Amino acid sequence: MSGLLTTAVGSLPKPGYLAKARTAFASGRIDGAELDKLTRQATAECIRMQEDVGLDVLVHGEMERGDMVAYFAELLTESMAISGLVRSYGNRYYRKPIITDELHWQGPMTIDMWRYAQGLTDKPVKAMLTGPYTMVDWSFDEHYGSRREAILAMAKVVRREAEELVKAGAKFVQVDEPAASTRPEEMELVSEALGIVTQGLDARTITHICYGDFASVFHHIANLPVDQLDLEMANSGYNLLNLIQEHNSEFQKELAMGVVDVHNHVLETREQVKAGIRKGLEVLPPERLFIDPDCGLKTRTWDEAEAKLRVIVEATREVKRELEID
Amino acid sequence: MRVTAAGSYPKIPNRPRPARLRQAIARRDRGDITAEELARVEDEVTIEVIAEQAEAGLDLVTDGQIRWDDDQTYIAQRLQGFEITGLIRYFDTNTYYRQPNVTAPVRWQQPILVRDYEFAADHSTKPVKALITGPYTLAALSNDSHYGDRRPLVLALAEALHQEAKALVAAGASVIQVNEPAILRHKEDGPLLQEAITKMLDGIDAETALYTWFGDADGILPLLMDLPVDVIGLDFVSGPGNWEALKRVSFSKVLGFGIIDARNTRMEPADEIAEQIQRVSEFVPAERLYVNPSCGLEYLPREVALEKLKRLVEGVRRAGAVAV
Ligand SMILES: [Zn+2]
Repeated sequence: MSGLLTTAVGSLPKPGYLAKARTAFASGRIDGAELDKLTRQATAECIRMQEDVGLDVLVHGEMERGDMVAYFAELLTESMAISGLVRSYGNRYYRKPIITDELHWQGPMTIDMWRYAQGLTDKPVKAMLTGPYTMVDWSFDEHYGSRREAILAMAKVVRREAEELVKAGAKFVQVDEPAASTRPEEMELVSEALGIVTQGLDARTITHICYGDFASVFHHIANLPVDQLDLEMANSGYNLLNLIQEHNSEFQKELAMGVVDVHNHVLETREQVKAGIRKGLEVLPPERLFIDPDCGLKTRTWDEAEAKLRVIVEATREVKRELEID
Repeated sequence: MRVTAAGSYPKIPNRPRPARLRQAIARRDRGDITAEELARVEDEVTIEVIAEQAEAGLDLVTDGQIRWDDDQTYIAQRLQGFEITGLIRYFDTNTYYRQPNVTAPVRWQQPILVRDYEFAADHSTKPVKALITGPYTLAALSNDSHYGDRRPLVLALAEALHQEAKALVAAGASVIQVNEPAILRHKEDGPLLQEAITKMLDGIDAETALYTWFGDADGILPLLMDLPVDVIGLDFVSGPGNWEALKRVSFSKVLGFGIIDARNTRMEPADEIAEQIQRVSEFVPAERLYVNPSCGLEYLPREVALEKLKRLVEGVRRAGAVAV
């Protein structure tokens, strides 16, 4: 493999037939086997699309997941439950889980779908987990009464799942922590918990963090115990690159830099994306730089998502050609 | 001792009950129904949540802030001088609000909450309190592109909200609660808060309350005792330091005693609530006590919120039985 690898962050849009099937399943109109069949069909389409676009490191698309926290909470049936709908803003609600009992790993939660996706391609497919800090921060806690205890207990659960993924052959394990920058005073706890998941894991470890005021906590972010940080850049005018530049001596990781905005249906031009990549190359060498969208693409349409990934691949190829990176 | 709500109430119930308001907003957004039709659903849901609070046994209810997207924009977008911008996290919660941006001098234009208050009062068997986000918090949670200094913005908001408070009193509001959670993060601005609240509530002939949440008022409580309000609301769940603060002050006002956790589904046993009430009675006599959740109830699923209010009422009943 060479420098400037292209990838995706995690989620891809669910095709219309799958969205309909998920609703039908929720109201009992189709059974689990039928939903599983369509979920796999959509996953196969995700893999084919990414191969066709020419990404280097693929994602499985998260077709089986609705909410990144509720998905795991619903599988941890002995220690978590779903409380009901809670509003996050405007007319947006989420199904907020509850920790009801001692957290423990009950069995594989992500292996089947990862293995299925990886079986469809020769390119590496990232294994995707929701991090322990985010799992707890986005849930109610009726059992521990201490954020720290709950988060560290959750870390052991996520760790076990990560080990199973590596055993199954995953080469990249991504542990997403979108909640990480919520409370600057808890950044050390974020790091400690993530360390439980990644320490000594025989895979390349990644974390994706978004929505936050990174400036005040960047020292912590730069030192999180992962091999690769995945950060949004396009959406914030590449300001985060300045932070990385400032912390250059302590920032030893790979960076996956977002070069297209996922919240906007407007497609970036190839020149815009190339300019973003060149900015990244001013700060980091190509072998430590991955190129991807800002965040998961699930809120875009399928065509928009494909077009955004395509412009990333084309722009990256041109930059590599121009700078003679192979 | 009376039982009340600290603010909001969850807008939608869970299955099998239909999420009518959520559906109506989605349909309005798609253009399938008009704004008037949505307003009718908002009215009906307001009636529902007032009835739920009464059913739980509250003595003083709110309209649940059913029409509010969040505590900031509902007020700011109806004042002159603001534009509404992107989403930003509300304190350390997992909820977001659209941040108001101050682009011109802030002025009151017309009543913001009067129609809501009148509607709620007309449809409630219990007294209704009007809720207003306070001038300090509105300023602190907005982006200021005009004044360049917090003090003139806070005072301009105080003047604008003074007009609103007057309009509420004219409409018959007998209890007005001003929410100032942001002051707990900026205790050094206590004197500015005092100046603003004094201006806002000058000549307001109603029972007035100032509520805080997400922290303790330790260090600022003596100043809160000097505010021209009747009730001070404190959050003892996320602000256990309020117990220490109580020891250091002669609590001369009515206390809004926030003791059940409106941010967690764990059900407090009624006896635990009764014990807390016993404990606070060392500092504030029962006749100067409102008992309420730690903050607005919108962080909980609707059914849990109702159950929590029932627990609260039961805890108050048990505490009263012990005292007698
Ligand atoms: Zn993201």
